[in-house]
Amino acid sequence: MTFAAVSTVAVSLFLLGGLGYSYMRAVEYAHSIPGKFDMRVYVLPGTDQATISKTAEDIRQIPGVASVSWIPRDKAWAKEVHDDPANTAGLDNPFPDGFKVTIKSLNLGDAVADQIGQLKVIDPDPGVVYLKEEQHLIDDGLQVMRWLGVVIAGLLFLTSGVLIFNAIRLTITHRRREIRIMQLVGASRFTVRVPFLIEGVVQGILGGCFAALMLFGAQHVFQNFLMTLASRTQLSAFPALGAVLILSGVGGVYGLLCSWLALSSLNTIQ
Amino acid sequence: MSEISSPYIEYKDVQVEYPGHVTGLRDVSLRIQKGDFVFFVGKTGAGKSTLIKLLTREVRHTSGLVRFQSRDLAKIREREVSALRREMGIVPQDFALLPRKRVWENVAYAMRAVGHSRSAVRRKVPEILDHVNIGHRADAFPDQLSGGEQQRVAIARALINNPPLLIADEPTGNLDPDHSWEIMELLKSLNLKGTTVLVASHDMMVIHRMGRRIVTLEGGTIIDDTDNPRIEPTEVIPVA
Repeated sequence: MTFAAVSTVAVSLFLLGGLGYSYMRAVEYAHSIPGKFDMRVYVLPGTDQATISKTAEDIRQIPGVASVSWIPRDKAWAKEVHDDPANTAGLDNPFPDGFKVTIKSLNLGDAVADQIGQLKVIDPDPGVVYLKEEQHLIDDGLQVMRWLGVVIAGLLFLTSGVLIFNAIRLTITHRRREIRIMQLVGASRFTVRVPFLIEGVVQGILGGCFAALMLFGAQHVFQNFLMTLASRTQLSAFPALGAVLILSGVGGVYGLLCSWLALSSLNTIQ
Repeated sequence: MSEISSPYIEYKDVQVEYPGHVTGLRDVSLRIQKGDFVFFVGKTGAGKSTLIKLLTREVRHTSGLVRFQSRDLAKIREREVSALRREMGIVPQDFALLPRKRVWENVAYAMRAVGHSRSAVRRKVPEILDHVNIGHRADAFPDQLSGGEQQRVAIARALINNPPLLIADEPTGNLDPDHSWEIMELLKSLNLKGTTVLVASHDMMVIHRMGRRIVTLEGGTIIDDTDNPRIEPTEVIPVA
């Protein structure tokens, strides 16, 4: 029972911590991909400088906008010519004047685009250009991870709680004679309960440590997998100490809570 | 005067009802003075164990008043029960010894549980074991002891806090007459040194020979309370 409790705490914390860690990494990765959080906003030809400045300020006020920068058509074309001289040679500049808008979160892309599109100086065609489909895809992926974390790991966490509870109850049953003797001779409630509370905390901490170990292993395996794909993507260093501290801390507090509940029947002499 | 107005232990119109409307005690009133030796007798279910468990706060009365050293036990909070129990020695019917611990370890375990230091344990355990005449079996395991010896260990354990009150629930229930008498002699010697002793028992032969106060219960009610009904020594009961 103790092994089952420790291993279930470990698996649930592994999933909870792992999905949380993966979620943070995924968000970090999404931010690192150029263009995923960027929008191009084109204004009507001939818009004067004062209107451009006011529009930039209006866009900055929209919730979810991280930054706004003005990119004149000549500057945009010069960059394009520099990046791709073969395909731009001899062509006229097709770019209109526009803004580069960076959003704070992928799931705010549509809302920000809608509000910007309602501004009068925005050219209806092409208007607001952004990687809508890609943003939706990444956001959907992140949402799945969130839900998986909450549902699966949450259920496992609950199960591990029941197992710790039962493990402590079994220990109480097994040691009922000792408990009875302690109660008969007048041992304090604290003295009687502390061994069981410690047992619950130790089970939780052990589960947390195993979860951190599994997480470390999973990261290592995933990094090796990326290397076999000849990918240049390098995962950032695993925060081993932080993972051990956080997961064992969560496990310990949870173990304490479950064992405290299991001890609720100890008021009377067994 | 104070002895009469403020008894050591007092039960007044005590009623105990267990779940399912089972009556444990009904209108029980009783006064016990310090240094008394009292037997509670009666058939199984008469209420003698309930009377004892009220004092140890294993059972709470439904109505009435239970006082120990002038303290109303109903007003003692749950976290204070352990301190209350340190003022009394409790000897359970089944001895409640730890089978994998030696005699001295059984007593030492209980002493450590109530916070005695290791040096105090080393000093006091032999004294207590000698006090109940079981020191010579200190290294034996419980299953190597006779019933009477096991009961002595249980009494030794009950004495670790130097309690002024000793409560024994059927201390001779599992013993033959010889060992029963040994235990009663031991309880009597503790009583002579000033310990108040309460014993729930149905071993009438030994009880009458002891010649102490007998409170008889039936159906949760006291039907008789007799002082010193000692039988004549000519009525032979084997002595160990």
